[in-house]
This record gives sequence, C-alpha cells and structure tokens, in this order.
Amino acid sequence: MSTHTTPPRPRRARRLAPAVALLSVLWGMSVEAAPPATQPTAPTQPAAAAPAVARAAAPAPTPARLGPVYLVGGELHVGDGTVVQDAVIAMDRGVFTVVGGPEARNKLPAGATLVDARGRTITPGLFAADTQLGLIEIDLESSTRDDGKATDHPVRAAHEAATALNAESSLIPVQVVDGVTSAAVAPTGGLISGQVALIDLVHGDHRGIVASPRVATAAHLGHAHAGSRAATLAKLREVLSDARSFPARRAAYDRAQSRELAAHPLDLEALQPALRQQAVFTLTADRASDILAALDLAAEFRLRLTIVGGAEAWKVADELARAKVPVILQPTQNLPASFDSMGARLDNAALLHRAGAPVVVAVLGGVHNLRNLTQEAGIAVANGLPWEAALTAVTLGPARAYGVERTHGSVAVGKVANLVVWTGDPFEFSSAPVQVYVRGAAVPGVTRQTLLRDRYRDLQQFNRKNK
Amino acid sequence: MTKRRPVLLLLGLSAALACGKRGPAPPPGPPSAAAEQPAGPASEPEETGPRKQTLLRGGAVMTAAGQIYTRADVLVDGSKIAAVGVDLPVPAGATVVDLAGKTVTPGIIDTHSHIGVYAAPGLVGHSDGNESTAPNTAGVRAGDAYFPQDPQIDRARAGGITTMQVLPGSANLFGGRSVTVRLVPGARSVTDARFPGAPDGLKMACGENPKRVYGNKSGPSTRMGNVAGYRDAFQKAVEYQRTWAKYRKDLSEWTAKKDEPAEDSDDGKDGKKGKKREEPTPPARDFAMETLSGVLRGEILVHNHCYRADEMSGMLELAATYGFTIRSFHHATEAYKIADRLAAAGTSASVWADWWGFKAESFDGIRENAALLTQAGARAIIHSDSPVGIQRLNQEAAKAMHAGRRAGLTVTDDQALRWITANPAWALGIAEKTGTLEPGKLADLVVWSGDPFSVYTVAEQVFIAGELVYARGSLEPRTDFELGYKPGDISTEPGATR
Repeated sequence: MSTHTTPPRPRRARRLAPAVALLSVLWGMSVEAAPPATQPTAPTQPAAAAPAVARAAAPAPTPARLGPVYLVGGELHVGDGTVVQDAVIAMDRGVFTVVGGPEARNKLPAGATLVDARGRTITPGLFAADTQLGLIEIDLESSTRDDGKATDHPVRAAHEAATALNAESSLIPVQVVDGVTSAAVAPTGGLISGQVALIDLVHGDHRGIVASPRVATAAHLGHAHAGSRAATLAKLREVLSDARSFPARRAAYDRAQSRELAAHPLDLEALQPALRQQAVFTLTADRASDILAALDLAAEFRLRLTIVGGAEAWKVADELARAKVPVILQPTQNLPASFDSMGARLDNAALLHRAGAPVVVAVLGGVHNLRNLTQEAGIAVANGLPWEAALTAVTLGPARAYGVERTHGSVAVGKVANLVVWTGDPFEFSSAPVQVYVRGAAVPGVTRQTLLRDRYRDLQQFNRKNK
Repeated sequence: MTKRRPVLLLLGLSAALACGKRGPAPPPGPPSAAAEQPAGPASEPEETGPRKQTLLRGGAVMTAAGQIYTRADVLVDGSKIAAVGVDLPVPAGATVVDLAGKTVTPGIIDTHSHIGVYAAPGLVGHSDGNESTAPNTAGVRAGDAYFPQDPQIDRARAGGITTMQVLPGSANLFGGRSVTVRLVPGARSVTDARFPGAPDGLKMACGENPKRVYGNKSGPSTRMGNVAGYRDAFQKAVEYQRTWAKYRKDLSEWTAKKDEPAEDSDDGKDGKKGKKREEPTPPARDFAMETLSGVLRGEILVHNHCYRADEMSGMLELAATYGFTIRSFHHATEAYKIADRLAAAGTSASVWADWWGFKAESFDGIRENAALLTQAGARAIIHSDSPVGIQRLNQEAAKAMHAGRRAGLTVTDDQALRWITANPAWALGIAEKTGTLEPGKLADLVVWSGDPFSVYTVAEQVFIAGELVYARGSLEPRTDFELGYKPGDISTEPGATR
C-alpha cells in the first residue's frame, strides 16, 4: 500500500551558505557592463503600466528585493507562441519594464549591469493550475492540511484558500527552483469548495504571497454531491439560482421575509463575481457526459467556465473549442482509473489543441512535485502537442484559464516579472533553471532538499562509534 | 494414520502443482519454499526445431553491462540474445530490422508494482492488494490475486516494461509473497505470466502503514510494536524450523529402524514379536511460517517497504540477528543517509526519482537519492509503485541521473540504465537471465525512438524472450476489460446506434 499517491545549482550550492545566497543571482551567468545607451534617459515603461495584481483588492505585491534586473541575450519564448532572439528584458519593482529584441537595448539605462543570458532559453515562470500548494505540508498529516473545510454542507463558496496560505511552506522553494513561479490555489471538498487564490511563489512573505484572493470559484461534477450525478447538477442549479436572485432579495432576507435559501448568504455573496463573469468558475469533470453537462450549466448561468480533469475532454473537443472553454488536464493520466475516465489517453492535450480548444497542462492530485510540470508538458509534446502550445499550456494558458492573463502568464511589459532562464529546453531532464525570478527578484537556489542533500553528501562525518 | 491424511494430501497437492503433474510420493517435511507455490516452469521451455533469428541492426545500443554503442547490432536467436556488437554478420535466414536512429536497451524491470492486485478501474471489486486482516499474513501470495486482464499491464508494456514484481501492499508487517511476472500479452492466469525460475519475494513493511492500519485494531500501534512483531515472527519461524528438523530426524531414525522391534513393547505375552514402532507424526504445517522459513533459508527474497534511515538501520540489524539478508528496501526515501550501510550489507534500495512529503516518513526525500547511493557503491534501483510511473521509468531514471550530475555527482548513462534494468533484475533474483544485453541472456529488450533519457522518446517496440509483444501503432494489445469501450469498437461515430 503505497499511500498517496534541488536540483539545480548544486555545482556551487555547497559552498554557499544561506547568508550569501543572494549571490545566486549571478549563478551561471557572466556579467557585463552595458554599453552607453544612445538615449541617456532611456528607461523604462511608465510605472502606470505596472498593475501587478488582478482585479480584486489584493495586498500590495512584494517589492523586489533587489534593484532593477537587465537581461540581455538568449532565446525568449514569450508564452503566447512567439519567440524573440537575442532578447532584452528589464524587470523593475516586480514587473517587466522592457521586453524586446536587440533593438530594445537602447531602452536600458547607461552603465547598467547586465545579466548575460546568451545561449540560454528564457520563458515565463511556470503557472501551476488547480493545486493546494501552501495549504498542505504532508498529505497524511491532517494537522498540516488546510485545503478543505471539515463540514457536511456541500456549499462552501465563501471558503477562501487565500486566508489559510502558508508562505513558509517547505514545498514552495522546491517548486520555485525548478521554474514554478505562480499557482492557482484551490480549496478542496464538497460540491462548491470555495475561492481559488492566485499566488506568486515568494517564499516566506505572508503579506505578499497572495496576488489575488478570489480569481475563481471551484466546484465539482460527477458524484460530488449525494452520490449522484443528477443530485450534483440539481444542487448546483439550485445554489446558482438562489445566488443569482440573492442581491435583489438581500433586504427581504435581512428582514427574515425570505424563503429558506440553498446556502448561507455569505456563500451566495461569494458566487456573485462568478455570476458576473468577473471570476472564473471551475468544474471538475472527467467523463465526457459530465463535461457536456458543465458546458450546459455554464451557458445557462453565463459562467466563465474552466474544466479541471477532463480525462475524456478529447471526445467533446469540438464543443469545448466552440465554447472556448479551457481544460486543465494532466497528460500522464491515461489510465481507465474509474468508469469516469475509460477514455483517458496520452494524446488528450494534442487532440484538444488540434480542435482549437484551450489546453492547460497541470500536475493534479499531488502538491509536492508541481515542478514536474515540465515533464508533463514534454510528454504532451511527445504525444503530439506542438512545443510552443505546450509552453503556453504551462504559462499563459493557465493564466487565461483563471482570467489573470492581464498580469500573469507571459513576458510582456507591465506584467508581473516571473521569469526563468534555463540551460536548455525547459521540458528536457537535462535542462534546469539557471535562475528563477519571482516578481522581478532572483530566487536563491536553496531548498530544504538541497540542505538535506548537502548534509549527507559525505557520510564519513557520521562514522563515529557510539562508545 | 488418519491424523496424517489431511497433511499428506496437502503436501501431495502442492507438490503436484509444483511439478505440474502427478509425481512420486512427496518427501516428508515441508517442501522447499520455491516449491511451496505453483512456480510455473523452472526455466524457459526448451526450444525445439529451427529457431527464429532476428538481427536488430544499426541502432544505438546500451547494454546496461558497461557498453554504450552509438551504432551496433543485436542478434536475437530464439528467446535469447546471441550476440551484441558492431557490424555483426547476418546469419542465413535471419530477419533484419533496421534501427538507424533508434536506441536498444534491455527491457525495463520494476521491482515494485501493484498492477494486477489493484487493477484498474479502482473498483471495490478490484481491491486485492492488502490482506489487511492481521499484521502477519506472510502466508498469502500476490499471485493468487493477480488479474491478468488489468488494463494497466498494457500501459506498462507500452512504456518498455518487460518484467515486474507484483507485491502485496504495505498494510501489514508481513504482507505476503510477491510474484515476478513478465508482461506477456494473452496471459489467462498468473502461471502464464510468471517469470520462469524467479524466486518468490516476501513483502515486509516498516513504519507508518502497519501502525495506521492496526493502531485501532489488534496493534501494532507504534514502531516499537512493529519491531516486536518482526521479532516474534522470526523467532517463531526459528522454532518452527526446529520442530520440523526434529521431526525429520525422528523420521529418519524411525525409517532406519522401523522393521526392528521396539524394545519396550516386546512383552512376549502371546509369543508374538513386539508391535512395530510408531511412525513420528509431522508437525502442523503453517504457510506463514513456511514463508518466513524460506526467508531464513535464503530461498525467498525480502522486499522491505521502509522509508527512514533509522528504521532501515534497525531492520539491517534485525536481519543480521536472524541470519537473513534484506534484498531491497523499497521507497527508502532516506537511503542516501545510510548509503554506506546499504553498500556494506549488500542491500539494494528501490527508490523513486522525486516522490516526497506525502507522509511524515517520506518528508526527507531528495532527487539525488539514487545518485548518492551509486556514489557510495550501493545498488540503486528506480521503482514505480505506480501504474502511471511504471509507464516511464526511463524518464524517472533520467530525472534522478541529471539531478545527481547537477549536484556534482558522477552518474554515467550506463549506471542510470542499470537502475531500471540490471539492478532490479538482481533484486528479483533473475540477473542471470535478464537485465542486460549480453549473449545468453533472454532477449527482453526495448527499441526506443531515441535517447531513452529524453522526455520526447517513446518505446517503439518491446520484446519479451525474443517475441515482439508491442509495436507502437501496430501491435498494441488490449486486455479483455477494455473491449467495447474504445470508439469504433461498437459504434463508429458518436451517437450512432445499431
């Protein structure tokens, strides 16, 4: 019974005490002085272009811990399918301020210290969709879990993942050093689990880690409620109907002149952004018939739908494409693990993409190895998904699926400066990040795992006899 | 005599099964562990008539025995590998397969799977992997639950797996016997799939799982209780062996003297000779004890689910006390902390590339585990314990290899390949037969589309004992279970009715 369910930088990691970890900014990169810029005032895009966070009122983003960063050279894969050779990228105060080719070089300030990224592959930071990162430390230890609410009530729309996030989770650096910089953190359990938070992976920053606390409402199909598909759908319709009419009835409700409602008023309030298309509504569904039911429900209540799971999504790819509904899937889930996923197959992502449906690649059902997003994307490529589409599926694709593409998911002026400089093809095992930037700050290459590794690298020191 | 009959019947039954035919009267005493369960053929059946020869020509060849050729040939003769080398001559009548641009490796071997005992879909009716009714179920056998129609078998084969050990789960201190099977299509029973001559394994489990499962039942509820349970069981096995040894001694003495009159029974009252000596009665046979006795005799290999360095150290000490060896620690997320001890004990570690943190005892897992073990001279194995992971052990090995290299450790491609071929073959006791591309070994091999350590590479052909059992796109066997569920099986287009 198996119950279930850093690397890089080692070359020098041993010699680097955490205190000097900031030196890691320059790991693997040489530094050169910028040539004098032709225009002395060169600088950056106006600060107004720096929104940093999505719509909802969010805490201020973490200020960059270092000054501006200027990267020059390298092959930039923007995240939207375009590629820029000899890229020039500036990051300041947490956002991209310059993004372009060699011609953008003159936008850098004179005498600026440049990071040489020639020969490197540059991508947006990876975006982990539908995860419980920051809510779970150890799966089987309930005292370390905050992903779900222990209640019998199926409707928990007001339950917010953002309020439970642990920015000091040891899991966060383990993902960051392999290139994951953002995550959509979803609560679990029940029929409507609650509010999904967008986070940037700034380890230790409790005030700043949440970029937006309510980007989506997470709900589920299949047997999520009362052991019955029909009951699940009926309950969702009942709750969404009551939520839709609730604003107009609010006063009556407060005067106790309302019939009993399908959920607590706070839950009905929490569904308003989804009903106004200001937030995404995610529905977990694997069986083709459930995905069609989700499409119908979204049309009925005019929801911005994203499907999570989608094992049989390829069977209804054309309908998904027509409705422009993204599917968050895990390419390696090709087993008929239940009668809901008898059609699971390795080329699900490729078939959806070919049909024109938006595809998001994710690591579902496990929170410790979101870093394997690159492997999942590579496997999708090996099974027919075009390479650039696979990169989009782990960057801009998830940002779109959660409605945060204005601030996240690609390397563009004004967006949050989440960036990875790789030794090579990000999806290959032989490649690893040279440097990861989260909100414009270079992240140290130290994790609990590198500390363990370095402690036990030489076992001689433990060979003391117990006399 | 009547007292003996059931025992003799039982002995006879199992011996007959072991031989696959009615044999002579069974020898007294428990048969050897290997014969205790139907073992299938002890070796590959003799090949008769002209053997089919196939020359796999011009691919990269990674032998897992120290050689990596950028371009070489592999000659398959019947079920065996006849030769590996550059520009081999083409034997008359041989089929030549051009593999330019491809890579040939040994078949991939997984030391840890529950495929067949936890078949997909994950139905209540398919849950056969944990006999979690008592902490010691050493008498049960995974082979008795192995479902050859599990569709996960097909997915694993498509990932280049040719052999896997199917284990009982880790709910119990002693989960029962494992079975090593080949992923041959068309098996109608476990006997059709059993790896010829492979020894049985015994699944043992440390740590949290037995505690969790029995903490609110009979116990154990602590790691103290776990170890007390191992000690009790092995002590009983020693005494069980002693009882049988005494019986055999008594029996042989009796056999030697059975025609002589018993001294004390010769009363001579009616002038007759004294009545015959009474034949010794065999002790009761206990199948759990049989398994543990097999371990003590070295006939059954111990596969021990164990995560923490301190617990693995304790298990090595316990094994030394009772005079057996642990063949492989499984999961062993902290093996890197005692790599020196594992090397000294000759115990392998079957690890994941990167699983960690799903339970407290797995919290210290690191990606450099396998590389650190290899550096220390211990035998590292990448295992799956997962019907998803088993489909790409080559990728998991690649992850662990590159993590090691980035940490400054030396791991060659050959060493990383051994993690999923030669080393698991050793752990399963079948290294003489498979696990490397060397003349005389079984032709268990995989033709990959390219570098097996690339994420973009797929298995294109899989051979088991010289027989092509998988070819991407053309020969993709499906188990019974999936018939009727694939589009086109019944209706040719969605919504079509017949």
